[in-house]
Amino acid sequence: MTDPILIVGGGPAGLGAAQALSAIGRKSILVEKEAELGGAPIISGYAKLVPSGEWAKDAIGGMVQRVAGSDLVDVRLGARVTEFAGTPGSFNATLSSGEQCQVSSAILATGFTHFDSINKPEWGFGTHPDVVTTVQVEQMMSSGKGVYCPSDGRVPDRVAILLCVGSRDRQIGREWCSKICCTVSANIAMEIRELLPDCSVYIYYMDIRTYGQYETEYYWRSQEEFRVKYIKSRVAEVTSDGNRLLIKGEDTLVKRPIAIPFDLVVHAIGMDPNLENATIAETFGVDLQKEGNIAQQFSYGGIGLTSRAGVYVAGAAVGPETIDDSIAQGQAAAMAALGMDGGMVAPSAAAE
Amino acid sequence: MTSSPQSGQRAVGKLADPIGADAPLDREALEEIFDDIRTHPRYDSELNGCLNCGICTATCPSAHYYDYSPREIVQLLWTENVEGIYDAMQEKIWACAQCYTCAARCPFGNSPGGLVMVMREVAIKHGMESAKEVLRPFSRVMLKVMTTGNQLAPNMITPEHFPDWGPNISKVEAPLNILRKAIPMPTLHTQETAWAVNLKTSIELYTIWEESGVLDQLETMDENLFDVIVDIMDEKREDYADWLEEQDDDDDDD
Repeated sequence: MTDPILIVGGGPAGLGAAQALSAIGRKSILVEKEAELGGAPIISGYAKLVPSGEWAKDAIGGMVQRVAGSDLVDVRLGARVTEFAGTPGSFNATLSSGEQCQVSSAILATGFTHFDSINKPEWGFGTHPDVVTTVQVEQMMSSGKGVYCPSDGRVPDRVAILLCVGSRDRQIGREWCSKICCTVSANIAMEIRELLPDCSVYIYYMDIRTYGQYETEYYWRSQEEFRVKYIKSRVAEVTSDGNRLLIKGEDTLVKRPIAIPFDLVVHAIGMDPNLENATIAETFGVDLQKEGNIAQQFSYGGIGLTSRAGVYVAGAAVGPETIDDSIAQGQAAAMAALGMDGGMVAPSAAAE
Repeated sequence: MTSSPQSGQRAVGKLADPIGADAPLDREALEEIFDDIRTHPRYDSELNGCLNCGICTATCPSAHYYDYSPREIVQLLWTENVEGIYDAMQEKIWACAQCYTCAARCPFGNSPGGLVMVMREVAIKHGMESAKEVLRPFSRVMLKVMTTGNQLAPNMITPEHFPDWGPNISKVEAPLNILRKAIPMPTLHTQETAWAVNLKTSIELYTIWEESGVLDQLETMDENLFDVIVDIMDEKREDYADWLEEQDDDDDDD
């Protein structure tokens, strides 16, 4: 069991696993399909993170530096695993470069795919340039340009954030809650209000799910300190009167249909299963659950076990997950990969 | 559920506050109406739950013009508010245009428009005055649809029936037979119907009205119209039987 441990994916979960393994002196091979490490927070250019308020490039960037600087982590950028064969303790992974790696186990930290708002055409993304996603607003802020309307670069007077875009929607086959968007949206709303004190920010919601400690720090604070307005309504459509965007919705608490003008409309996009999950499942011989995420075997006791013994999973690969929990799961999967899996055994191993 | 049996008689259709002291129906009768809705074969597939997000009402064209909200209908049914359901059946459910945009938008996969249709069917079954009122202006059209399968015949388009057309109505005051003859298809050279209706097709249509229960619904809604239509149906069926006999005779001659 002295072969390195294979980690697939260099986002928060993969970095967490690599950090943990290197901390106890175990070698790992970290395979990342993109040209840089960091995953969604770095590659998609997130701004200030929940819950610490640190910039993604500092918080996650710091992890990237520590992992990349470790002698015990062998990083392969722009690479994929194309074949994976063997048994626990002695696997052989083939990379897209043709390289063969002997590894004792594997951790899938393959993450998620941002929902593509084009799949909700009635909400104007792709039709009106001033309809953007939370990821685009994160990029505006992290790039230092500030929040602006893409059509003409003007600073918005009125911003609407629509929650549950690509989440909790049977019409498009996405019945799950993406877990992070309520808190992320409250965070973004406060940042906009901080950057543009004269700008009104509205959040359109079905339910507010700023769970746990986020209730006071994000949901309440965004109202009490930042005067963000919450309207209980799922909007019917986003159109334009030629100058501004129009949001047609029902204020369900006042009980009348309303049309309100906005300069910028932000889709709080959800987390889809990684688009490549079918290929990943095929390559590694692991099961997917019904939504298309990588299936975990146990809810309790076992850590990140997949349907194949010796292959573990962490982070948003199993479903919508926060950055901090993804890192924790990466570390937990590292423990499991070292053999400390709580005595729980994947079905395939039990059958052997 | 306890029900007070004090005022047992039904004043079905009386418009009144269903919750107040002079409620037209007792609790038991209201629950009977709701049971007919709840046990309708389509009910469970039209209603899965409700998050009160309001996208149905936001997207509803009728909600912009009438005191009608598909979200309210869903809520009344989901919370089994039998008084509110009865109240909505007096007027609100008839404001729905049955466009089903609500169903196309609902994140839960509900169909508020489908629920309205179920409620309308139950309103008819119970002979509610609201249903009768809604149908009354359509008796001419009903007569035409049920006897011929056509909705509107050219000779029905007259100034007195279409005041909303304004001065344009004069355009159809030219001799109807000439106007119709100008249409290239001979099957449209008709005045009594929109197109030439085959007798056999009409007879088959009558079977559909009977088998689907539409004829029974009509009897509940408008007995006079029902009598007129049944007379015409009988007449046409006799005509068809005679025609069939003629065919047999012709065959015998061959």
